[in-house]
Amino acid sequence: MKRKLLLFIFFLATLSLSFGQEGLLPFRDSAALIQELKLQEEIPSFSYKFFIPKVSKNSKIPGDSTFLWVETDTAFISKAFKNGTLIDSLYEPLKGDSASILFFVYEEKTNINGLRSYLETMYATGDFVLAEDKEQPENDILLVASSNNYQPLDAYKNRLLGDFKLLAVTLIILFFIFSAASMIIFMLIFKTQRNQREENIKNYEQEIIGPLTNLLFEKDLEEISQMSNEEISDIFPKSLFKKRLFKQVLIERIIGLNKKMKGEFKDKLKTLYKRLGLVELTKANLKDSRWDKISAGLVQVNEMDLGELINEVKSFTNSKNFYVRSLAGATLLNLSEKVDLSFLKDQDYPLSDWQQMNYLRIIKFVGSSKFLNIPILLKSKNQSVREFAIKLVRMLGRVDLIAELHMINEASTDDEKIELINTYDALGAHMEVEFINNCMLSTNPDLKKIAVKAAGNLGNSYSEVILMDILVQTIDFRLRRACLTSLSKLNTETFEKFVSTQPLPENQALKAQIQDPLLSNV
Amino acid sequence: MKKILIIEDDLLISSLVQFRLKKDGYETILVKDGNEGIHAIDTIDPDLIITDVMMPFRSGIEIIHHAKKTKPEIPIIVLSSLGEEEEVVLEAFNLGVADFIPKPFNPNELAIRVRRVLT
Repeated sequence: MKRKLLLFIFFLATLSLSFGQEGLLPFRDSAALIQELKLQEEIPSFSYKFFIPKVSKNSKIPGDSTFLWVETDTAFISKAFKNGTLIDSLYEPLKGDSASILFFVYEEKTNINGLRSYLETMYATGDFVLAEDKEQPENDILLVASSNNYQPLDAYKNRLLGDFKLLAVTLIILFFIFSAASMIIFMLIFKTQRNQREENIKNYEQEIIGPLTNLLFEKDLEEISQMSNEEISDIFPKSLFKKRLFKQVLIERIIGLNKKMKGEFKDKLKTLYKRLGLVELTKANLKDSRWDKISAGLVQVNEMDLGELINEVKSFTNSKNFYVRSLAGATLLNLSEKVDLSFLKDQDYPLSDWQQMNYLRIIKFVGSSKFLNIPILLKSKNQSVREFAIKLVRMLGRVDLIAELHMINEASTDDEKIELINTYDALGAHMEVEFINNCMLSTNPDLKKIAVKAAGNLGNSYSEVILMDILVQTIDFRLRRACLTSLSKLNTETFEKFVSTQPLPENQALKAQIQDPLLSNV
Repeated sequence: MKKILIIEDDLLISSLVQFRLKKDGYETILVKDGNEGIHAIDTIDPDLIITDVMMPFRSGIEIIHHAKKTKPEIPIIVLSSLGEEEEVVLEAFNLGVADFIPKPFNPNELAIRVRRVLT
């Protein structure tokens, strides 16, 4: 039953293919088909048998066990063979017996057309390959192999290289691993170097402490200044002095000690610094392109009073680096009492409040304001420098420079005018009352307020008029209070008269506050 | 021989002070931080303590507190760069220190003050 069903399916398939794919196989006739069969070792579900018709009832079965003949009433039929390449060799001895070949598909007998249809179906599904096609690739491969040089065909052989995404992810992971490893190695190297450096610094410190202490206590200033090179070499071996780090440590120790010592010890340290030739390292620092090195050099010049390097220091007073130019300015002021402030005149950068405070502190510490040459700063094109000069006149109490300030009254900016008025007020410059009166009429509220306050100390009768005008016109409470305070200072009668003629509650309240000594500064 | 404990984190300063005081015939013990200072006060019996104020682990003020609590008879000289800070100086004197020497200082001046305190 099953076999019949298979045959039926095969029949349907054959039918459909015979319509749809007729002539698929390149066999012109049955001889060509047989020829093809002779080249096939095995075709699935195909077999063939030899058939010898009986000439008479007494005919005998050929005596060959290869065929395993089966006798029927009319013929002898051999067993089924599958290997097509044996057809000729099997048929050869049977030629004399009028043998013929029977074809079987699924063990059912078929004719040449049925076989052809079957083969075409098999060919279409790829289950049957022509002997010619089987041999061709081998020939082609041999031809290609003989005509081309050997090249390994790696594409898709390694899945990692064939898959782009996998390759990209692998590369990224490898990159991170490599980066992490590099960083760890770098950190280890860096840390080792730093540890080594710290270890060296500790060792150098130990080697410096003893000789330095001995020198400071055992030798006086003159002896240190007259020390020969041999004596110095006895104290600090030449081998150590060749090392830059040793010299750096020595400089740091000497400068650190200089900050904490006073009296003859300071002078000894400065002399020793020069005798040890450490000035050369300072010079090298000042010539360096790095700002931190230059700063270190400036600190060394400042601390060790290296007056011979004053010109090098001057070149940094207009440096674009804030820290460098601040240090250079401070160093110049510290170095000598005769150094004036003229280096600030041509400075392009504004002076910050911090710089001004720092310079003022040094100037006060040095205590030689006569050589400062403040008037030259009043001619500077840099507004912050001019303001600093005006502040210096005030802070240092230089009444002798009021005439110099007077010359810039009109040309000055509002900010400078504020500083000028503060200075005039602080120094009691009554001769500048006209300037103050003019400033009270200014539209700049800050300038106006400062001028009003100064008018209380330096004003005249015209100032009183201006103050009253402002009081009538303005509603600004703080300005009104300042005006009334100044008016009361200038002329009590005018003040009382004004308040009585202007009986506003605010005026009365301000009057009460101004006249109350407990509230005068509130 | 009088024994002086020097508590100072700056090795160069402490060495200078030690050198100067040794010249005057004193025995000196150097320690470089507050913890070591307190340990030294407890374990040795110095005749004088010279201490800095700003130090690692324990400040000079804490050391003075400890010394005055455990061994109030030991005189203390404070050697500090905080000499310009009134509060620190006042606190030190309120705790009973014998002297306060601000940095920058002169080791010879220190030696004179030490001699005065110990006599």
